[in-house]
Amino acid sequence: MQAYVARRLFGSLLTAWLASIVVFLLVHAVPGDVVGQMLGQAGDATAEQVLRGFFGLDRPLYRQYLAWLGDALTGNLGMSWTQGLPVTGIVLQAFAVTLELGLVTLVLATLVGVPLGMAAGINEGRWIDHVVQGINLFGLSAPVFWVGLMLLIGASWAFGWSPPLLFQSPLAAPADNLGIMILPVLSLGLLQACAYAQFVRQLVVAALREPYVTTAEAKGLAMRRILFKHILRNILIPLVTFMGLILIQILGGVVVTETLFALPGLGRLLVTAIAQRDYPVVQGGLLLIVVVALGVNLTVDLLYHAIDPRLRR
Amino acid sequence: MRGGLAARTLLRRQPALLLGVVLAALMLYVAALPGTLTVHSPTAVDVNAALQPPSVAHLFGTDDTGRDLYARVLYGARITLGIVAGSLALAAVAGGALGLLAGFFGRVSDMAASRLVDVALSFPPIFLGVVITGILGPGVRNLVLAMAIVYAPVFFRIARAGAIAEGARTYIEAARALGLGEWTILRRHVARNVWPLIFLQYMILFPLALQIEAALGFLGLGVQPPTPDWGSILAQAKDLLLTAPWMSIFPGAFILIAAAAVILIGRSLQPILDAPG
Repeated sequence: MQAYVARRLFGSLLTAWLASIVVFLLVHAVPGDVVGQMLGQAGDATAEQVLRGFFGLDRPLYRQYLAWLGDALTGNLGMSWTQGLPVTGIVLQAFAVTLELGLVTLVLATLVGVPLGMAAGINEGRWIDHVVQGINLFGLSAPVFWVGLMLLIGASWAFGWSPPLLFQSPLAAPADNLGIMILPVLSLGLLQACAYAQFVRQLVVAALREPYVTTAEAKGLAMRRILFKHILRNILIPLVTFMGLILIQILGGVVVTETLFALPGLGRLLVTAIAQRDYPVVQGGLLLIVVVALGVNLTVDLLYHAIDPRLRR
Repeated sequence: MRGGLAARTLLRRQPALLLGVVLAALMLYVAALPGTLTVHSPTAVDVNAALQPPSVAHLFGTDDTGRDLYARVLYGARITLGIVAGSLALAAVAGGALGLLAGFFGRVSDMAASRLVDVALSFPPIFLGVVITGILGPGVRNLVLAMAIVYAPVFFRIARAGAIAEGARTYIEAARALGLGEWTILRRHVARNVWPLIFLQYMILFPLALQIEAALGFLGLGVQPPTPDWGSILAQAKDLLLTAPWMSIFPGAFILIAAAAVILIGRSLQPILDAPG
């Protein structure tokens, strides 16, 4: 177990380091930089040189990378070129919004998706199974931002209500925060709940064909008891893995959802920063996302090993 | 003859597959011959007819410059679906070929390539898509390139795993014993058996890539107006959401139908393509 943990940890760190190089190179492949943008077409050479020196753009690329990486390791991601504030603060503040959106969505998707999937699995081939499969097809096919648009139209049409545009933190103004978060969470969460339901359905269908279920039935155990005592325990392990996948899916969905609902999260930050050519923010945001995604994967893998007694030595 | 008969029985036994095929055929027809379904031009501006709700003259209504939305959505099928199909094909060829080579010949090149692919796959696809299109600038060519870069690593992984599994089989050893060259074995035996896996992956990725294409268009990073594209029509519709909800409803519904068609077909074909032999 310890050797496994060490190996996975090392692998993730290596990937994170290589990803940091990719992030840096990606951003530096951008044609035109902040200096060009500040000075416009008619910038004069001296001013350009001075500004390049100020932003550190006159150094060789590998020196720029090493300086950036060194600072990043101490938690300093540089200064935003457009806001004049430390990138670390900007990125973490945005991430807090994304994290709230992501976690609430994950909880909603689990609470809706798992029972639906179980119901469909036990009733394989019956009407409830067909309904769940139909919903699932919709969930997989509908673009997340389109579902968001439809929810906005629906809320306005049915209740004459539109969500407030100014973001409020859940700690400062819980009620306002709820009003802002409800539609984004619904649009992301319903789609992910569909994915969940389908996955759980397959697990339950497969589990019902296992010999241990036949044995339990032969012993005369009630179906409910078999379901909760035996099947649920066995599907818990793949379910944990799937949770990680879903969380990463949700993180991907936040880019359009945040833009649509004007949430000041990491996705929207990245979209605006890339449009403004604000390198340090793009680099910092992208690096954070990769580290989070790798962290989720690592946690899932380790959890998987921790809860499956067959993998313990 | 037998193939046709088998296909017909398959369709009868699997209503989901039948529905998928019908929807896909419909979409293909729209993408190929949009001109046969509407008299309107997708780009003709008519300010006097701006923001009209759906009517007999304009089935899906009009946008804020009076362009016919029905025509825009129909003509958009070719653009949107073409971009998705093309970029995935590019990704499948590039990623698939490299994966085959890495998996079959292995060693150092495989380790290096696999590491790189791990790194690429550690980015959520949409983030990578946003940054690459942001860097390259908007436009169809850059969008196709960006999406191919995003999805090539997935094909690499599938092809590599397939090549490793095939390479370890007895018949490959037999082929070697017969004196066949490595390249011949790769081409004639390994590639032939890995190809169904790549095709299946193509089907699995198609709806996901469609979502990303639409999302990038929605963010203004994909196809630019006035070219009709489902995602960018939705971007335009967002600002007129409550004034002209029809602008949002129809392009999204077409994305939904196209994605559902491919999912239905893919699901039905999965057990067949996955079967060994």
